[in-house]
Amino acid sequence: MSTSSVSKGCFVFKPSAKKKKRTLDVGDYFIDGCEGSGNSELRFKLCQSLWDKMKTETEVLQDELNRKILDRLLEFAGRPSSTFQHGADDWAARMRASEIPTAALVLGVNVPDHDMTFQSLSDLLRQSVTPHVASVQAKECGALKHLMQRVLERLMGTVVSVDEEEEGDEEAEHASTQLHNKRVHCSLGTLCDWYKSKTKRSNNGTPNKKRSSHVRDEQPQPPVVIIFKDLEAFNPRVLQDFILICSRYVEHLPLMFIFGIATSPSTIQHILPHSVSSLLCIELFQSLSCTQHLSTVIDKLILTPQFPFKLSGKVLQVLVGIFLYHDFSVRNFIKGLQLSLLEHFHSQPLSVLCCRKKEALANVLQLSHQDLESVRQLPSFRRYVERQEPQEQVNLLTDDTHIKGVCQKLIKGLRKYHKNFYPILRCLHTLTSSLPKYPLGKQIRELYILCLEKNVWENEEYQSAMQLLRMLARDELVASLQTCAEILKPVKAKKMRNVLDQLEDLLAKFKQLDKVSGETAANGEEITSPEKGLQKKTDLFQLQKTLLEMKESRRSKKMSPFEILRNEAVDFIDSLVRCYLAPPESQPLNEVCYYSSSAVVRRHLNATPRTSIQTALSNPYHYLQNDTLRSEDGTVSNAAPDICIVHKLHLECGRLINLYDWLEAYATVVSAAEGTHPDSDEFGKVDELKHARFIQAVSELEFLGFIKSTKQKTDHVARLTWGGC
Amino acid sequence: MSKRKVKEAHLPIGECISEVQRVLRERFCHQQLPERLEGVDSQYKHLLELLRRTAVHGESNSVLIVGPRGAGKTTLLNCALRELLEEKEVKRNLLQVYLNGLLQTDDKIALKEITRQLSLENVVGDKVFGSFAENLAFLLEALKKGDRSSSRPVLFVLDEFDLFAHHRNQTLLYNLLDVSQSAQTPVAVVGLTCRLDVLELLEKRVKSRFSHRQIHLLSGMTFPQYLQRVQTQLRLPDGFPDARFSHEWNGSVQTLCEDKSVEEVLQRHFNSSKDFRSLHMLLMLSVSRVSTANPAIRPADLLEASRMCSADPKANILHGLSILELCLIIAMKHLNDIYDGEPFNLQMVHNEFKKFLQRKSHSIYNFEQPVIMKAFEHLQQLELIRPVDASAAKTQREYQLMRLMLDQSQIMEALQKYPQCPTDVKQWAMSAFG
Amino acid sequence: MAALLQHPCYEEERLRRVADKLPCREVQAGTLLSVMGGPEQHSFPSIFIYGHRASGKSHVIHMLLRELELPHATVSCVECVSVALLFEQVLLSLFGCDAASLLPRSPSLSDFVRIYRQQCSHSPAVQTRYIVMEKAELLRDMDANLLPALLRLQELVQDNVTVILLSEIVWDKFRPNTGCFEPLQLHFPDYSKGELQQILAQDSHPSYSAELYSSYINILLGVFYSVCRDLRELRHLAALNFSKFCEPLEEGKVKESDTHKLWRNIEPHLKKAMQTVYLREVSSVQWEQLQQMEEKDTGAVRGLSAHAHVELPYYSKFLLIAAYLASYNPARTDKRFFVKHHGKVRKTNFLKKHEKTSNHLLGPKPFPLDRLLAIFYSVVDSRVAPTASIFSQISSLVTLQLLAQVGHDDQIDAPKYKCAVSLDFIRAISRTVNFDIVKYLYDFL
Repeated sequence: MSTSSVSKGCFVFKPSAKKKKRTLDVGDYFIDGCEGSGNSELRFKLCQSLWDKMKTETEVLQDELNRKILDRLLEFAGRPSSTFQHGADDWAARMRASEIPTAALVLGVNVPDHDMTFQSLSDLLRQSVTPHVASVQAKECGALKHLMQRVLERLMGTVVSVDEEEEGDEEAEHASTQLHNKRVHCSLGTLCDWYKSKTKRSNNGTPNKKRSSHVRDEQPQPPVVIIFKDLEAFNPRVLQDFILICSRYVEHLPLMFIFGIATSPSTIQHILPHSVSSLLCIELFQSLSCTQHLSTVIDKLILTPQFPFKLSGKVLQVLVGIFLYHDFSVRNFIKGLQLSLLEHFHSQPLSVLCCRKKEALANVLQLSHQDLESVRQLPSFRRYVERQEPQEQVNLLTDDTHIKGVCQKLIKGLRKYHKNFYPILRCLHTLTSSLPKYPLGKQIRELYILCLEKNVWENEEYQSAMQLLRMLARDELVASLQTCAEILKPVKAKKMRNVLDQLEDLLAKFKQLDKVSGETAANGEEITSPEKGLQKKTDLFQLQKTLLEMKESRRSKKMSPFEILRNEAVDFIDSLVRCYLAPPESQPLNEVCYYSSSAVVRRHLNATPRTSIQTALSNPYHYLQNDTLRSEDGTVSNAAPDICIVHKLHLECGRLINLYDWLEAYATVVSAAEGTHPDSDEFGKVDELKHARFIQAVSELEFLGFIKSTKQKTDHVARLTWGGC
Repeated sequence: MSKRKVKEAHLPIGECISEVQRVLRERFCHQQLPERLEGVDSQYKHLLELLRRTAVHGESNSVLIVGPRGAGKTTLLNCALRELLEEKEVKRNLLQVYLNGLLQTDDKIALKEITRQLSLENVVGDKVFGSFAENLAFLLEALKKGDRSSSRPVLFVLDEFDLFAHHRNQTLLYNLLDVSQSAQTPVAVVGLTCRLDVLELLEKRVKSRFSHRQIHLLSGMTFPQYLQRVQTQLRLPDGFPDARFSHEWNGSVQTLCEDKSVEEVLQRHFNSSKDFRSLHMLLMLSVSRVSTANPAIRPADLLEASRMCSADPKANILHGLSILELCLIIAMKHLNDIYDGEPFNLQMVHNEFKKFLQRKSHSIYNFEQPVIMKAFEHLQQLELIRPVDASAAKTQREYQLMRLMLDQSQIMEALQKYPQCPTDVKQWAMSAFG
Repeated sequence: MAALLQHPCYEEERLRRVADKLPCREVQAGTLLSVMGGPEQHSFPSIFIYGHRASGKSHVIHMLLRELELPHATVSCVECVSVALLFEQVLLSLFGCDAASLLPRSPSLSDFVRIYRQQCSHSPAVQTRYIVMEKAELLRDMDANLLPALLRLQELVQDNVTVILLSEIVWDKFRPNTGCFEPLQLHFPDYSKGELQQILAQDSHPSYSAELYSSYINILLGVFYSVCRDLRELRHLAALNFSKFCEPLEEGKVKESDTHKLWRNIEPHLKKAMQTVYLREVSSVQWEQLQQMEEKDTGAVRGLSAHAHVELPYYSKFLLIAAYLASYNPARTDKRFFVKHHGKVRKTNFLKKHEKTSNHLLGPKPFPLDRLLAIFYSVVDSRVAPTASIFSQISSLVTLQLLAQVGHDDQIDAPKYKCAVSLDFIRAISRTVNFDIVKYLYDFL
């Protein structure tokens, strides 16, 4: 990233269009670039297919996430536009007859994610509500004229593309007539005429265009929707004038606005004065926050055995960190996921095994000797070997066919591990997420990262969580256990099946406990009461204290049947955790599926241009790898490129740099580099060549933004960096 | 009026009235030329003489008619022309070109206009000319009659003369005046302007070619003359169809002008401005109130008319403001008093307003910032306040520095007139310190 | 009342018809009509009508011109992005489209006048032609000599034409410095309370009696008249609250006659609505929803301005906070605020006495990027690498208009910024990252 990208929005705008044709050369890059190139094509294929699966998954996700808000919007747009049609009968509508219905759509600050939303929105509108949809961006309409032009073009243009041929070309020449008659460009009156002609034509629906007309039949006048994608960026003046003009035509033209708002709806009031905003009839639509969005994405893409590819805790942390700290962009998160996927298949030779079960087993048989060697190198595999009998160990280390068999076994094991891991994880989360202070994190992803790092049950948050669980009130406990059961139901793995059964009869016990306590309601009361009280307070310290007290009391008096049962349940959960939530490192061959080099990801996704420029200038060896440049203690050898020398020299100067002194110093250094003898009169002479080189270096430095020319002194330049030597 | 009805020799009253309306409106609205000008005889003679020289003896000339707006420059010129054109061969010979600084905003347009008015488009066709001078010369040449001996005199009238001085290096003026200097074609250049300093606008080479003839219309009219003029303006012409009615009308006008209150009103107007236009507006308004119900101008009509003319628009606007907006204005006034006339921004005003609210225990006026902001915006829209530098679009609106475009007296007056103004607000406005 | 609107040249009942369509504006209509005079008579060259928004300026004009079938052209100056459009519309509606098509590509004023003249020489005016210009204040920005020319158009085109200018701004603001032809000024005063009552009462609800509605309007005006006299706004408010007003009637608790009960029922709602008068918080539809919501959960009215909260990335929040501090604290105080072991800065010379006006009155000051970053690094708890995304977040804050970039946007020589958010906003933000901003603000020491 160069400094110029600073001028862009905070989120990297990637043109998604050219993905298709890029894949070809990407393939070549991939293949020749990666190590263990034996099976690189295969890996590339796997990578592609896997990514395609994930992509489709995410797209489906996007749609159903937007579904709700979009439906509401459609309903809003489809509503017989209150201002326009039957104003006569409806009193409220008549009162608002002069207002333009407007939807304020709050989308959050992750701007690049908006495009998809608007795209699908306008598509849906076209399909179901009206063919007349135009969406405009701020940067394409700086003046009212342009805005008008855009809107007219889009509206009339879209109609041409949508409707049938003979209508289309007559529209076309209609448009062409407008083109050389310049009045039509910027007046809304023409739009009205055009609209009238359209609606008239579509109402006496000719049979050849059933599809387009049958929508309009129940709704004679489809509204004209104008979408302002980024309201904040619009020039207020332009917007105000446009709205004023539109309001003059509101009885001829069923207009409707949609404002895309990134920050908060109150910006509308900032942009529009009352005289304008009183012309609008604004309704608010809040899209779901991007954090929720993210958690669903993680839920669908990562917390599932469906995809063999996994992220290690560190990598996941990096990605989530970038999301939370820098951009709220889900799109970029997914891109990061894609990147790590690519990196994994690119760098890890054994990633051939990272695919669906059948292929994986097949691929195991295809493994070459050297692949198997690398398998033997895997730390997790080593650990596995050490746990075996001596004889077995020998076999594993020597016999290729044997190891293949074992690998297959292990792969299967890994898959089982995943199958069981996630349901239990969810269960644990449902239980702990309700606890005060969220000892194991509020979001499931936090818990997940915990589990990836090390054995959960070993850190004390887990302990405290368990203790809190041990004093959960009955109804809550039962409720969460119920949900756990719900979670476990759909899972097919047989282990989970009998876990479910155990859970079921636990719940059954709770049930009959109810009956029992029906008689002994009294003591039931006074037992459960302290816990009730305890739920209120959320101060952890308080909690500990009461905990201890509870312990005392528990020791002192015998526990009620409920308490016994509760402990039983908690112990059961605990056992589940210990059995199923072991971190992936414990699993042999986990390297096949888990991508762990977080540094790479960070370097790619969160570039640090300034530091890299700094290093390039202060320590050229780092990039050039030229031994003559190797230097210790951060000094720059005088053989370094001119710009490095100039930079080094400029660090020694103050706020203002005298160019001539600078040149002198430079000349000395360079001539030293040329090896001219220090006390020869040639030494430190400024000839044209040196001068030219110096000037070039300085201008490069200026281009990089380290210095700039200053008005104060003509023969000086000003430093823009602070610090230095 | 019933007795007037029975005499069928006279038109019915309604027609008379509408006839009166027609005649007088003709006079007031359409600048219809009066039979004779009064008060400007010398100027009239001078101008007429000049024009005649050109029209008849083929001398070139250039003259500026300078006078404040509505002083009757155009009328003067037109009267002179009217008299001049009564002569046969002048009428046949003289060519007239009217240019207006408002319309011919640059020399290309002006030249096209000249060509058109001399009806030479077809002659010019699609010739291309090197310079403006060439083009003009060609035009004038083209005007020569069949025998090359003499050529028709051309009268150039340049209304809003000062605006022509802003054209790029004053080419048009230069050439016209140049022609008027050199004796090739008899040309009269008459400039009308309201700027007394117009000569300073001219470049040296242009000025040097201008015969420094100026006709000034600075009316040193006395009040009796003014009254006289009012009467003549209102008087019906002799050719009025219904003699009786016209006689009555003129009588009523006579009495009207003797009325005391009317005289006061006219005095006031006389002191503010003596020009025709404002007088016409006044009379026009009062005439427009004449109807069959009251067939003559009553003093009341004139008073009403003058009230309409001399109403203070800002006070009118203030009258319609909401209390909140009024309060803001008062706050601004206080700020102006405290930091004598320093610009302020919304925050300060709001602060001042808050101080006022705090002093009162309960108040219905404590609105949120956004509402205050809207009120502020509205004031800005009405241009009662104006930003110090318009360029400061970047700064937030609440911090944009503003100036109040009203003065103490206006505010106070408005407060007095304001309907249902709460007393505490009034007191606040009165109080010396914010 | 209709007697005010009479003229010898128009027959009575026609004028009465017009008068009925102009409630509470008979006086103005009357004067206007008398000034305009009969259709054949000459009228004053230019008339300037001013008055507040929704005081019926254009309504009256249009009614008169349309009902009395006078030849006229109406132009809204907002729509005329170029003078060409203006000329075109005038010619179009006065002489028909063939006249309009005569205009050259980018017509000058002189072209317009020329064409107008030749047109009206073909069809000389039997009746006065009227050209109505709405939002005339925009004419000032258009073309220096357009306005003066229009004012004396009658003289320029030698035709019986009258130009009528409508505006909310007083004429004094229009007058060019060299003066011009003074138009005839007419003022449309704002409606009095009684008139408002009369007008608003006209659009009564079909399913309720007119008396009920007018009594409702009476209550409404009682509350709002002091703060809002804009007819349009009042109508909006009326539409907003009427359903609420009728609720007890719907439920049959109260009968129409019992206005007192009705008043007690509606009054609090109106009071609440008054807090948000003028900001079109919500559409009437949502307003009703909100009202119901309140019955259930006692959430305050959540209109547009209620959603002030903005979700931002963690570092963006801190960048914003840093920007706020940078723009509201004097630079010299940074040392004291942000250097951990700042030397003994004595309170006396630290708090300068003479600067009594707080920066929160004067507004934010611009600051260079370096200062922003310096403060940022010192306020943010963890150690942050100066990555590209940090820098791009700054510029994205600019695009979101939370920061404002001052001067040229040249990245190389240090750009200056201003923080463009309010104190409450930044408070809310810093609460989410539990950073006590007030401790760091110079004004609140």
